[in-house]
Amino acid sequence: MSPLALTVYVLVWPLLVAGTLAVICTAFGKEAAEARREGHDLI
Amino acid sequence: MPPAAIEPPFGLLLTIGLLVLFYGGTFLMSVRIGHKKENADSYMTAGHGVGFGVSAASMTATWIWASSMYASVTSGYTYGISGPIHYGLWGALMILFIYPFGRRIRKVAPHAHTLAEVMYARHGRSSQLMLAGSNVVGSVISLMSNFIAGGALIAMLSPFSFVQGVVVIAVGVLLYTLWSGFRASVLTDFAQVVAMLGAVVVIVPALFLLLGGPSLFTEGAQNLTPEQGTFFSGDAFLNQGAPYIAAVLAYAIGNQTIAQRLFAVREDLIRPTFITATIGYGATIIGIGMIGVLALYAGLEPVGGDTNNLLPQIAAGYLPGVLLAVFFVMVIGSLSSTADSDLSALSSITMADIYGQGVRSRGRRADPRTMLLVGRLTMLAATAVAVVFASLQLNILDLLVFVGALWGALVFPVIASFYWGRVTNRAFTVSVLAALAVFLPVRFGAVPATGPLPLLVEVLAVLGVGVVLGLMVFGFLGTRPAVVVGALAALASAPFVLGFLRDYEALTGSLVAYAVSTVVCWAMSVRHRDDFDFASIRRRTGDFTDDADAPAERPLTAARGAR
Repeated sequence: MSPLALTVYVLVWPLLVAGTLAVICTAFGKEAAEARREGHDLI
Repeated sequence: MPPAAIEPPFGLLLTIGLLVLFYGGTFLMSVRIGHKKENADSYMTAGHGVGFGVSAASMTATWIWASSMYASVTSGYTYGISGPIHYGLWGALMILFIYPFGRRIRKVAPHAHTLAEVMYARHGRSSQLMLAGSNVVGSVISLMSNFIAGGALIAMLSPFSFVQGVVVIAVGVLLYTLWSGFRASVLTDFAQVVAMLGAVVVIVPALFLLLGGPSLFTEGAQNLTPEQGTFFSGDAFLNQGAPYIAAVLAYAIGNQTIAQRLFAVREDLIRPTFITATIGYGATIIGIGMIGVLALYAGLEPVGGDTNNLLPQIAAGYLPGVLLAVFFVMVIGSLSSTADSDLSALSSITMADIYGQGVRSRGRRADPRTMLLVGRLTMLAATAVAVVFASLQLNILDLLVFVGALWGALVFPVIASFYWGRVTNRAFTVSVLAALAVFLPVRFGAVPATGPLPLLVEVLAVLGVGVVLGLMVFGFLGTRPAVVVGALAALASAPFVLGFLRDYEALTGSLVAYAVSTVVCWAMSVRHRDDFDFASIRRRTGDFTDDADAPAERPLTAARGAR
């Protein structure tokens, strides 16, 4: 494998992690805001 | 995992500061949701209505434990560029493969607390005991393993000793989990997943650059064997990937920490939760494993020859101060999130399967206060036991192998029990015991090397390949495609298994356990005439309390707008 392909191979995973983290944080934020608005516990 | 002999980069104050920041923060989070009078059912399942953000974070955090980070790095270092894939990808896919079973289990028993409790409703006491017993042992082992990982990390990076580290981790986890149980566990999982995933986003690219960047792949190419340099390494698949596929399917089905989240998440959110956790776990663990690949290219040698030391060794050797602190929080987060899940799982088992079922079987109602007391005392006792075992660094490999085999033997009978009304308690019990009886001599090399027995074992292993792949397909597509795929997989694998697999005892043992339990369970059930009424499970596994303060499961129509 070329160095470029190996570089992409190593660095693609942190990118995927960042995307997943963004999805989780966005959903958590919405749920927390909704719980606060409706006056019930998040959990 | 003994602490390695490197100079501790953290001082006393910095170590205490980081630990206070982490455990103080998680404790404050748990205080915010704590109730003076906790509800016993919520203590076990958080009311069956947890949203997508919290449940996806919790599933991801629970599946990622410190050992998986260390093991993925080891796999990358040992097997080269395909190594992290053969650790992380299969582990991730198993989350995906079990989600159809999760939906079925939740449909059959929407208000259950443990899988063992459902097995009691489906079959009876012996099936329940097998699941509950294996979970108790498995969770104590996991708890101990996480305490050991924490103690070793603290001993390596700070002036504290290993035992001091173990005690600090144990007290820290207990501090935020004891009062609110599972509710605290899932809420703090969010903060822990942010710490872990955030750290991976920063640390992996940073180490890539610090170790030399793209030029590392040309300058260090001579450090790899041809097998380590290819994506299609047979060595990596047979020694790492294949045994892991078999083991992790069993872990996913049998483990109460996963089942507990399944019973907690809102029913319509099971699929997005599992898919997100699949991607989150896979990317995180494969990403961390890349550090092992980079170490291999860089020609690094693990301290003391122990590859478990690689990850902290590289972090301590290459990361600047702030990033090293981020790394420390990442590992503490990963082990704490799994440890609090283990404590919650153990407390649920004693609350629901021992106290709750015991009271119900005598026709009485469970007392919520007593139930909570049982759960909290269980957490205290389990922590004490795990601290003692961790401090003594007992060799628990054989016990771990046994629990893994028990879970492997349970997979088919458990799944079949949720779909096929003919499976009886006797078929369940006998099939699991028979699988264990065959597994043990195979796994521990007691089968004679000559004669027909090794070939018979390999024939069973071929069947096991078919069972594993068939079960994966069954969840998504049903019986007929599963049988076709299972048969094709068995036929395709036969030339590579027969006369060859006997040298791989771990893989052979797992496959044999799957095969024997499947064959025996099917043979004992197929001629049984009675068809079980699955609707009866819902009636027998309801909540233990009718507390008006308990968070009610919100209606799906209203909840769907949340996403």
